[in-house]
Amino acid sequence: MPPRRILIIDDEEDIRTIAALSLETVAGWEVLTAGSGIAGIARAVETQPDAILLDVMMPAMDGPTTFRELRSIPAVAHIPVILLTAKVQAADQKRFSDLGVASVMFKPFDPLTLAGDIARVLGWQQS
Amino acid sequence: MSDPGSIVAARLADLWRTSRPTVLERVAILRDAHQSLAADPADSEARTRGREAAHKLSGVLGVFGLPRGSELAAEIEALLKTEGALSPDQLSSLSLLAAELDAVIASKPAG
Repeated sequence: MPPRRILIIDDEEDIRTIAALSLETVAGWEVLTAGSGIAGIARAVETQPDAILLDVMMPAMDGPTTFRELRSIPAVAHIPVILLTAKVQAADQKRFSDLGVASVMFKPFDPLTLAGDIARVLGWQQS
Repeated sequence: MSDPGSIVAARLADLWRTSRPTVLERVAILRDAHQSLAADPADSEARTRGREAAHKLSGVLGVFGLPRGSELAAEIEALLKTEGALSPDQLSSLSLLAAELDAVIASKPAG
């Protein structure tokens, strides 16, 4: 897999740490993190990641609202966003997919397969 | 130890040591919410507290190698999403689920 830059936006420090550990160690990707939707939007504009992993349930600005904000900013509107959420009912999953995100992935994730799962849904070539 | 799987496993073990107290705090919040709901099955504040704690637990426990813990926390979260006062059956289920969750977490000490 070629090196990629991923931005993880999640209010849970453990999830940020484990996802970063996974993507850096398994895939060798560069990982940036933000603990809130607001901080994540600023980080995305500043760093232009190749993809964003975005938690759904966050205080103040939740994932869907953050996604809509990202889509309204031309500088980052093209960046694929994967929503990361605890397992939800089918209706919720459809609601998330209908937002126009690249994919919806579920917590708990497997740290050893997370990078491969992201690459697969984004159509990134895997070595 | 150079393969990514071993590195990730070792780091996760380290992280579990530092994260376990937070996990236990969230279980305590669940227990407290259950006690409040047992006293007042319509206590919406206790339900919200419990639901939020369960949501966070469901997202993280499986990553630490406790998939059953994530399932139990997700069941608790779903139970606490129901509208209106909790029924005696629901309170009983909540108690059983919380007890099993305690046991699952206790099965993985800090190391």
